[in-house]
Amino acid sequence: MSPDPGATPLLEARGLSAGYGRTEALRGLDAEVKAGEIVGILGENGSGKSTLLKVVARILAPTSGEIRLDGVPLASLPRRTTARRIAYVPQSVDLVFPIRALDLVLQGRAPHARGFSADSAEDRERALAAMRACDVEDLAERDASALSGGETRRVFLARAIAQEAEIWLLDEPTAGLDPRHRLEFLAVLRRSHRERRGTVLLVTHEVDLAAELADRVLLLRRGRAIAAGPSATSLTPENLRRTFGVEFGVRDSRFFQVEGLSDRQSLDT
Amino acid sequence: MRLWPRAARLRHPWAAALLLLAGSALLGLFTGGVHLSLPDLWSGAGPGGQTARLIASLRAPRVALAAVVGAALSLSGAAMQALLKNPLADPFLLGTSGGAAAGAALAALAGLSPLLSPGAAFLGAVASSLAVAALARRGGRLDLQRLLLAGLIANAFFSAVLLAVFSVASSAAARAMLFWMMGSLADASLGRVAALVPYAAAGAAVLAFHAARLNLLAVGEENAAALGVDTEGSKRTVFLAASMLTGAAVSFAGIIGFVGLLVPHAVRAAAGNDQRRLLPLSAVSGAALLVAADALARSAFAPAELPIGAVTAAVGAPLFAWMLLREP
Repeated sequence: MSPDPGATPLLEARGLSAGYGRTEALRGLDAEVKAGEIVGILGENGSGKSTLLKVVARILAPTSGEIRLDGVPLASLPRRTTARRIAYVPQSVDLVFPIRALDLVLQGRAPHARGFSADSAEDRERALAAMRACDVEDLAERDASALSGGETRRVFLARAIAQEAEIWLLDEPTAGLDPRHRLEFLAVLRRSHRERRGTVLLVTHEVDLAAELADRVLLLRRGRAIAAGPSATSLTPENLRRTFGVEFGVRDSRFFQVEGLSDRQSLDT
Repeated sequence: MRLWPRAARLRHPWAAALLLLAGSALLGLFTGGVHLSLPDLWSGAGPGGQTARLIASLRAPRVALAAVVGAALSLSGAAMQALLKNPLADPFLLGTSGGAAAGAALAALAGLSPLLSPGAAFLGAVASSLAVAALARRGGRLDLQRLLLAGLIANAFFSAVLLAVFSVASSAAARAMLFWMMGSLADASLGRVAALVPYAAAGAAVLAFHAARLNLLAVGEENAAALGVDTEGSKRTVFLAASMLTGAAVSFAGIIGFVGLLVPHAVRAAAGNDQRRLLPLSAVSGAALLVAADALARSAFAPAELPIGAVTAAVGAPLFAWMLLREP
């Protein structure tokens, strides 16, 4: 799969299984990601996309197999060490207590903090700069629970920047956004990625978004990889049919869904 | 769910909390069955002055005990609320106090010396915490929803134990037990304060060490895990530290409700939810509240004394209702 077999991938999954209780969401997944790539992760609901992000973010421990970061098993590294390199950008959080948007961004400094001290002036500067980069600086003093969906995602993206993480894990960043907020988010994402040259794992249901944004894609079905490779060659109607169980066509280099469902039985064999 | 009034942020929360504590300490020294005058106490000369000094020296341990118990209960409540991501959480809700009371009641029934009842209460509190934690454990993880349910079960069980003990205890023993269960600082002495302080200090130190992590946990467990927190270890440590604070407070002063619930709420409204400020401010404000409540318990119907748990509930319940109603 890798064109340069000598180079150690930045991230790799080896025989990775994980799940919730008795439900297995990932079943022996093998995949790798090279530094600087934007990888689109596609799959139907329950295919294990979000679970994969949670395992990489160390929110969820694998039941078997492992994730390696620069060839080193993630589980063997201190949590704070990996949290300095890997940032998780959730779709939303359920805030029970009041918290300013700035304080939410400042939490990104936690893996770098020492001791019990209050946030330093430098941390504040970094947080505000990150908010500026994501066009949310004017929301700094606002209560985070009062922000719109699009604002919340940009605040969390700002947090990933403040975290100085080189790997961003974005869980369906455009889901539920209206067209304007979606475009605003994507503009900020493109710009900050261009400036920082980080690695992005992006879970999405939007095939066109993956085709447009991602260098490579990983297509998941039932916790296993169906296809992986450059978006240009891997996003074929056939691969998409096997991933989503829906017939796809291509017109003017955009994907469209063909009426009618594929025969599910043929997919699972 | 939002249960705190907005827009009430104080500019100098530390000054306010310390002033409250100083004011309530003076109130605690001067009020009670006998009223003291400041000039008498200050001069210390003559029979008036000597009496004043004597009374103050009797009241001082009580003020100190109220302060430490109030601080311990408030710290414990604040930590539990952040840990459970629930502004209604408080160690009493989780069965710790019920366990403590049941432990003391069983010790009294077994005919143990009353001197041993704080020890029995502390053991009961810890046993209850461990049982609740075991019930809440699922697949090796401490499930926060189950923790609240387990607390409910524990409280139901311990009240059954208490009712059973009551019905078979002698009437004198039952009355003493009742007073203890309603909360009382009447047995205060410097020795008891000195015995309580190490527990309170140890629990407070553990929570202070976890304050930054509690900030991340208060947003969510996934949030904390993704930012490098060992969530399982932190949850367990904070839960045990908070239980120890409550157990120690209950064993030296009986069940005193509403302090652990109310004080962190008020502080959160005044100074925000940053645990690095919320925890120490809650400790100081909780100390002030309980010292003032004890002064009220001693003086409202002097020479009769109200149980302090009744005072905190009488003041706390309407305040809590008001906070609920203020939210649209």
